[in-house]
Amino acid sequence: MNRRFARGALAALALVAIDLRAARASTPEELFAKANSSYEEGRFEEAADTYGTILKYGLKDPRVLYNLGNASFKLGRLGPAILNYERALRIDPSDLEARDNLQLARARIRDRAPEAEIPFPIAAIQGALQILAPDRMAVLFLIAWVAASALGGSFLLARTETRRQALGYLLLGGATLVLLAGLGLFVTVRMNLEPVGIVMQDRVDVRSGPAEDNTILFTVHEGTRLQLHGRREGWFQVSLPNALSGWIPSASVEAV
Amino acid sequence: MRRRRSLGIPLAAAVLLLAMPAAPCFAQEVTVRAQAQPMRVEEGDQVTLAIEIAGESLDQVPPPDLSQIDDFQILGGPSSSTRFQWINGRTSSSKTYTYLLRPRHAGSLTIPSLGVLVHGQTLRTRPIEIEVLRAGGLRSPAAPPPAGSMQGGGPGVGPGVGGPGLPRPGARQPGGAGVPEVRVRSEVDDHTVYVGQQLTLRVFLDTQTQILNLGLQDPPTFPGFWAEEIKVPENLEVKRVQIGNAPFNEYTLMKRALFPTSTGSLTIPPMSYQIQVRRLSQDPIESFFFTPTETVVRRTEPVTVNVLPLPAAGKPSGFSGAVGSFNIAVTADRASSQVNDAIGVKVRISGEGSLNALGASPLPELSDFKQYAPKVASTVAIQNDRLRSEKIWDYVLIPLAPGAQTVPPITLSFFDPRKKEYRQISSPAIPIQVARGAERAGAPAPAMNQSDVRQVRQDIHYIKLAPRGLVDRSRPFYRSTLFALLVLMPFAADLGLLVYARATRDPTHAGRRLRRERRARGRARRRLKEARRRLAPATSRAFYAAVAQALTEYVADKFDTAAAGLTHQRIEELLAGAGAPDALRADYHRALEACDYARFAPTSSIGEEMQRTLQAAERILVALERSLPG
Repeated sequence: MNRRFARGALAALALVAIDLRAARASTPEELFAKANSSYEEGRFEEAADTYGTILKYGLKDPRVLYNLGNASFKLGRLGPAILNYERALRIDPSDLEARDNLQLARARIRDRAPEAEIPFPIAAIQGALQILAPDRMAVLFLIAWVAASALGGSFLLARTETRRQALGYLLLGGATLVLLAGLGLFVTVRMNLEPVGIVMQDRVDVRSGPAEDNTILFTVHEGTRLQLHGRREGWFQVSLPNALSGWIPSASVEAV
Repeated sequence: MRRRRSLGIPLAAAVLLLAMPAAPCFAQEVTVRAQAQPMRVEEGDQVTLAIEIAGESLDQVPPPDLSQIDDFQILGGPSSSTRFQWINGRTSSSKTYTYLLRPRHAGSLTIPSLGVLVHGQTLRTRPIEIEVLRAGGLRSPAAPPPAGSMQGGGPGVGPGVGGPGLPRPGARQPGGAGVPEVRVRSEVDDHTVYVGQQLTLRVFLDTQTQILNLGLQDPPTFPGFWAEEIKVPENLEVKRVQIGNAPFNEYTLMKRALFPTSTGSLTIPPMSYQIQVRRLSQDPIESFFFTPTETVVRRTEPVTVNVLPLPAAGKPSGFSGAVGSFNIAVTADRASSQVNDAIGVKVRISGEGSLNALGASPLPELSDFKQYAPKVASTVAIQNDRLRSEKIWDYVLIPLAPGAQTVPPITLSFFDPRKKEYRQISSPAIPIQVARGAERAGAPAPAMNQSDVRQVRQDIHYIKLAPRGLVDRSRPFYRSTLFALLVLMPFAADLGLLVYARATRDPTHAGRRLRRERRARGRARRRLKEARRRLAPATSRAFYAAVAQALTEYVADKFDTAAAGLTHQRIEELLAGAGAPDALRADYHRALEACDYARFAPTSSIGEEMQRTLQAAERILVALERSLPG
């Protein structure tokens, strides 16, 4: 009788211990560590769930998104993998690992990404801007802005003609820099806010209008990146870089 | 299909004519008649249509024109047979074209009058009416309807009706009068298979009589299948079977190993055989002296097979697509080698099923071996009606680095349809001891063949850690208050400075003078611009006034005096005092005087003169700006 009681008590204690451990893993950092160890042990499903829980807290850290992308990739879910890599890159476009993984995931989807024809210099500038996060561009802009303002102040205070002239030229240069940095910031922010969606279902028909009875124009498959243009009750107006466009049920697309 | 002709011997024919009820025709007279069999059929059953042309020298008679038959589908024919008769020294012959028809719908259908071209003359048969009942409407298999003859007299194509009362297991196979029971049927060993799994199709012929000749009407097609022929012996094997109460001979006509390539309900289409059989004759004399033959067409029923897709659950990541049961064997021709000394590695995959789906080289790229494209050999064989495949890859590997190297295990995953599950088999790893290349004593070590470090496979980068905690970056910096403040602050500071600069502006004479001096050149330039606009003989007075004003006002601004009170002498004093060179001063006065002269004593000023004055004034002002202290 005594022994049975002891065994029961032990079991109860063990249960409490498990419960405590679960309760303890509740700060985002602990959840992150838990998800990482699940990933390391090959339990990708569990890892993906836990990364998802962190994101539900409203904490948008690019590393969580990146790791969630990895877990989805390992589970063979290319749609969520691509979506999360894209989201991570929105926050930190300089993350080359996320860029590589995204490329690898894109290479495995059914639809080949149609490339729009962009002439070389523009493509090069776009590439450079893609690497620069809007936040970095914002810092660059601030530096140029503060420097130009300081020059402006000095100009106002200058008493002699020669000094005024020299400061005037410097101010002109400074203003040009501010203009360029401002333009850069504008473009990167616009690129960052570009409405883009990822197809999340195996195959989805794209129709000529926002209703089921419209003609099927083409079919896209999981993981394909679509530009989102308009929205109407349950439908997105989308287009591909090669100018194909149509309407798609919004449930089948997740916006980045 | 070859036509056989049974030629009568005169003596036999003489005896035969006694048995014949009537002669069909006489000299020169050619008769044509059509005969259908049976006259009442069910929908889907077949009707044998025989068109008999009787007369003399019928060698050149072409088959009749059947294009007017609309209500029937022509399944087979024509097969022709010719008979000769010799009566009282006269020979007569008859030629029969036989067709196999199938009614297109139920009802009372008519085979219309058909035309036959005999010796340049078209003879017509009479139309025949066939009653076609709905399927299941005919329920008297024991008593088949009598043969319908549209022309009285003369024998039918077949001798007598019904034959020896054969059982009719397949109601759809018409057994014509006197035509012995012959059927073909196709069977598959499994009606539900997975895509890529073998099913075996067998076509049997059941007969109670002797088969003389047979052939397929069209080459068989198997849409949706990949077919491999299973050879049947040249002399068909016969098996005694019991169908109903009657004994039959069963021949296996064809065997095919079929592999479905798509899923869903697939149909093996019917195949038509043209079969020449020995006709059963009740006439002992005929059957003794002749080989009465008949050509019939028999069709197999279509066979429907349900093809299942391979299950999605448990599909291994590297699934090769192979369906069946396979083994893998990897062998190396030696266990030890030297750097740059080739090793032969053979990968052999064999087993039951098709290996067509297996494409890629099973041996992955190895970083420490140079690998040449393998020699691939694949063979298929049929064993016990099952397809066995074998594929061999012969690799030549050149070790690039010394040490204990291994040929890694090679894994093959395939679907086993018998166990209904995916299986994965691996070969054991093969260790290969690689020695450094042969080194001669004293000789320098041979240069190692270097190669680039190659990536052999791709995978995603590993997950990231957050040693310093996670950071919420849902709100970007450029949208933060801090950013807005940092943008506004320098702007505000500059505004403050501007206000300060205005407030502390030097209110004294010195300050005003400084500003006036600063503006001197700009004002002079504006005056000259005005002068340039008046550069025309009509406005010469205004022009010279503007130039003079530019010159005088410049000096006035520079020295902060009123322009109105400036005389030549005063100007001279001011310029000399400021250290302007003598030549420049002289130029200045000359220009000013020229202007005064032109203004107050107007002459006909020509454009060139005015242009010169303007240029001189510009030059003087630039020179003055340089020589006077700023």
